[in-house]
Amino acid sequence: MKYSHLCTPIEHQLSRRAILGAAGAIGLGSLLRPAAAEELKKKHKQVLFIWIDGGMSQLESWDPKPNTVFGGPFRAIPTSVPGIHVSELLPRSARIMQHLAIIRSVHTQDNSHSAGVARIQRGDPKNRGVTYPYFGSAVAKFLGPGDSGLPPYVWIKPGSGGFIHQDAGFLGPKFGAVAFGDGKPPENLVLHESLTVTEDDERNALRQAANARYAKGRRKRMGEATSYVYDVARTLMKRQDLFDTSKFDPKDVERYGTHEIGRHMLQARKMLEAGVTFVKVNSYGWDTHGDNFNGHLSLMPKFDQAFAAIVGDLADRGMLDNVLVIAMSEFGRTPRINGHIGRDHWPEAWSVAMAGCGLNRGLVVGETNDKGTFVNGDEHDIGSLFHTWFAALGIDSKAIEYDNGGQPLPIAHDGMQAVKELLA
Amino acid sequence: MTDSKELLTKYEPKEANVLTADPQVRSARFSPCGKVIVAGGFDGRVRRWNIEPATESRAGATPTPQELPALDGHHAWIDGIAFCQDGELIFTADSWGQLCCWNGYAADQPQVKWRHEQAHDGWIRELAVSPDGQRLASCGSDRFVRIRSVEDGVKQREFDAGRDVLRIVWMPDGTLLTGDDRGIVKHWKDDGSLIRQFDAAVLYTLSRLQDVGGVHSLAIDREGKLLAAGGTIPKNGGTVTGPPTILVFDVATGEEKHKLTLGVDSDCYVADMHFHNEGFLSAVTYGTPGAGQLLYVLPEEGKPFFTKKLSNLHSLSWHPDGKRLAVVATNPGSNGNGRPLDKEGNYVGNKSPIHVFEVSGG
Repeated sequence: MKYSHLCTPIEHQLSRRAILGAAGAIGLGSLLRPAAAEELKKKHKQVLFIWIDGGMSQLESWDPKPNTVFGGPFRAIPTSVPGIHVSELLPRSARIMQHLAIIRSVHTQDNSHSAGVARIQRGDPKNRGVTYPYFGSAVAKFLGPGDSGLPPYVWIKPGSGGFIHQDAGFLGPKFGAVAFGDGKPPENLVLHESLTVTEDDERNALRQAANARYAKGRRKRMGEATSYVYDVARTLMKRQDLFDTSKFDPKDVERYGTHEIGRHMLQARKMLEAGVTFVKVNSYGWDTHGDNFNGHLSLMPKFDQAFAAIVGDLADRGMLDNVLVIAMSEFGRTPRINGHIGRDHWPEAWSVAMAGCGLNRGLVVGETNDKGTFVNGDEHDIGSLFHTWFAALGIDSKAIEYDNGGQPLPIAHDGMQAVKELLA
Repeated sequence: MTDSKELLTKYEPKEANVLTADPQVRSARFSPCGKVIVAGGFDGRVRRWNIEPATESRAGATPTPQELPALDGHHAWIDGIAFCQDGELIFTADSWGQLCCWNGYAADQPQVKWRHEQAHDGWIRELAVSPDGQRLASCGSDRFVRIRSVEDGVKQREFDAGRDVLRIVWMPDGTLLTGDDRGIVKHWKDDGSLIRQFDAAVLYTLSRLQDVGGVHSLAIDREGKLLAAGGTIPKNGGTVTGPPTILVFDVATGEEKHKLTLGVDSDCYVADMHFHNEGFLSAVTYGTPGAGQLLYVLPEEGKPFFTKKLSNLHSLSWHPDGKRLAVVATNPGSNGNGRPLDKEGNYVGNKSPIHVFEVSGG
């Protein structure tokens, strides 16, 4: 198995030019049926989606089975909520358990990265011959950009950036992700020194006029999408404070950690504070088929530091009432320990950590058996989690449908339900 | 110096027995008396086999090992096993920080002589008994090295070694060597003052967020003049790969004298090794599931003169008579993303075959 070739999605270089260029690729996606759409946008809920790529081990994180045959070397520790224990590798998260909602009964269908990443992030709906949007694109569609003028779906990730229109599926590229490689802004974001602000405004007016002429005789949404992408670029040009890490509070930098996930999570907080609707933060390198335990001993403290810092900060700022936080992978890791002292892919029984708007707090939902091999009781697939998250955001996933060029489509798996115990 | 052809004639291993540890064990060691193999499990149990039971001692027959009752009371993983060369004491340590001294390792029911529930805060990586048999050194992921009296377990010294200490070895003169997770070998006086550092940092890398590698095995020659630090030169985190590598240093000068590359990237870690009195290193490696080697190498030759492939080897122990060695392997097919179930529908874990080899030695 060539693991290394399966773990990194196709990425694209991000530049202002690339963003602008993406406008040409924008086609016509679907429309949200009008029910409640405007009302949703007024509330301006937000999402922080932390994607731990490759597969965090549930046994070394949210569902420890200490002193059992598959439990690994680590201890479990108590949390701020009596009766709830997590791995000793999550000491900071343990102290903010009162904000968290953990589900330990996640059971999904795909054990490969190549299919699993997209399948999970699209909610794995019934196959209707269309490509569903990633959760970020769906939220961008339903909740819009708010008043910030910033792109509604932002992705902070290691490596390169780009305009990731593929995420949007049938919604159309406008709802794709604006990805900031290593949290950096698009190239050429700063206004060229040869241009004054007035000159730039004049150029923009000219661009708008050209746009209007281009849109004439074309379908309306094509013109809108083209204009939207220009506007994203222009808005970002005015918000360089979101990217200038040298001006971040050094105490914040220390609290979140100077490592990659710490820097990116702090930047995510800045984006949420600025009003971005959906912020995704990726961490790569979690596919621990070999040396899983030393690997998690090194990886988990960095995740723990950044995760606890941002959830704590959102709580302190009163933002958890409006921000839904989700931390997850494409699957968990096998209970059995292979000869490379690693754990393989395990979609059968794993955990997702959540916090924030619309959710109960300080609880664990679902359980696995004593050895952590399978779920005891009800299993919950990603479709159930999509229903849950939509409900937490005030989106009625049973009433609202996508309208894909006249084809009505459920926004989450129509054979599944929200996990009611999670919902406030 | 004996050449490698002659060494191979004397030490080519012939398989004599395979013990099966179910569930897996981390390592297996011959006792100083040579009659018992002791292994530390993934399940918090210390497993023991009597390899020379009296009932099987007729001339010419290979004795069938008999498993003795496991020692209970530990938690999680047992990575530390050490013996006093004289007497019947055995020391065991686990990944929750417990350290235990048992009296009568070959008895049916060894007695606990002393026990420290929290000898370290967390994972005890290795134990070593001093050459004079009076002191026990332990090291752990809490970065500390602690030295205790073997007799009563009282702590005599402790010092902060600065990093997660993966390996610890006593020198013949009573000083200590440690190998850490960043690939640094440190030579200490027993009061914790640093004598010298040996740079084996090629055995470490930072891959994205993950610190990968470090000194996974450490050995000294009989006279304490050469030290060998083993591991891999990591290419990546996650599914760690890299060529198994041993660096051999001159203890007196700190000079790196040999760099031994002992396989391909999928072979990965040198997990355990031993400097033979005849100057060669015996070592075991484990890598991607299925990949493992038992090998002999003369440092000055650079390439192994003997290699035997076995599935994922994790420890190596020579019998006190010098004519047997035991290695801990993993069953083939130990990995996979599916759900392995037995006929009763139970989830199936992995096992550790413990291969016992004989050598002529003469």
